[in-house]
Amino acid sequence: MSTLKVDAIRHNSATSDAITTAADGTCTANITSNYSNRSVVYNGAMKIAQRGTSFTGVTASGTFPVDRFLFHVGSLGTWTLTQSTDVPTGQGLSHSIKCDVTTANASPSGTAYARIDQRFEGQDLQRFCKGTSNAKNFAVSFWVKSPKTGTHIVQLQDQDNSRNVSKAYTVSSANTWEKKELILPADTTGAFGNDNGGSLFLCFYLAVGTGYQGGALQTTWGTPSNTTRATGQVNVADSTFNDFYLTGVQMEASSYCSEFEHRSYGEELMRCMRYCQVYVNPKLRGVRGSNTNDFHRMGMTLLNTLRADPTATWSGVQSVYDGSGTASITGISSPYVDTVSFEMDSSVSGTLTVGTGSAVIAYTGGNEATLTLSAEL
Amino acid sequence: MNYKLINNPMSGDLLSVKRTDVTPNLFIPINEANTDYQEYLEWAKTNTAEPAD
Repeated sequence: MSTLKVDAIRHNSATSDAITTAADGTCTANITSNYSNRSVVYNGAMKIAQRGTSFTGVTASGTFPVDRFLFHVGSLGTWTLTQSTDVPTGQGLSHSIKCDVTTANASPSGTAYARIDQRFEGQDLQRFCKGTSNAKNFAVSFWVKSPKTGTHIVQLQDQDNSRNVSKAYTVSSANTWEKKELILPADTTGAFGNDNGGSLFLCFYLAVGTGYQGGALQTTWGTPSNTTRATGQVNVADSTFNDFYLTGVQMEASSYCSEFEHRSYGEELMRCMRYCQVYVNPKLRGVRGSNTNDFHRMGMTLLNTLRADPTATWSGVQSVYDGSGTASITGISSPYVDTVSFEMDSSVSGTLTVGTGSAVIAYTGGNEATLTLSAEL
Repeated sequence: MNYKLINNPMSGDLLSVKRTDVTPNLFIPINEANTDYQEYLEWAKTNTAEPAD
């Protein structure tokens, strides 16, 4: 055992110390990337799954197995997507996305594809200084467990400027958790819009048809060409024995990947609620008209500000009570939404007391209804 | 895809677009920042939604 005793550590070419030590046993370090909130990825630990934790028979795009991670697929197998507890050991991660092939496709057609996306607002990406002389690299790190060894592709898709870049990584051992750290290049062309629009897609490919490979993989930023997006990508969907897992996803404006930045459940949930909010038996309050068949206008304030006015869906039945009688909400007839509140005129079965208009409240009443508000990119 | 227009029952103005070919139906706001509305606008370039009641 030995001790290195120095007053400072400095790079040969630097003009200042990177680390200075003090007589009291402490030090001051000039660390450039370990600041908090350094990852722009939402729900990288796959903790939050507001819409549910298992989705079967998936053949088309639109499913979020966990919040903010979109399964994007076309003409390439049938999948069961779940929030899994299969994770790499010793990393403090508790969940992953599991993509289970239930109908295989060993020979994907030209335009077939399967990938996992996270999509970002431009205003959250300004730190990358894209489109300027100070542009930063995209440092992407993640844990993957693939049924296939060999080449897999990660792609960045700039929606504002129609520019793409891809990076290959190699899975060495099948069905084994491996950590991957990729540095995708900075781009001095094409700034991201500083707004709430979808500016960048981070894409993890699982399989593609011949139409998405064949040319040399596009490893520098440039105009998209389908045949250079995912050249070399193995086919994860070629057998029903195949399960693909992903977790610990992080993306930083940096030239190297730092340790995964863990966030609390509550913090991550509130972040995800900018894009989706799911309410089981929502606490709606409102009024009804004076006649039996008059509509009910009910509403509530939302728990977080949404990215944009949301799309609303209603499933199930919820009871309403006006102080003397009860009825059931069976759906939305007219929605009134903005980024901070939700109101609706409801479809109702049953009859409340005929009389003057009165206040009504929604309550469980042995039923269960789910209101989903989505403002995804 | 299939869509139906929904008017505000009080004012008669267009309030929402309902996507009716999925369950549960989607109630889409008239807001160009909403990606479901963007998808509807693309669809509406070559198709016509069912009119409001």
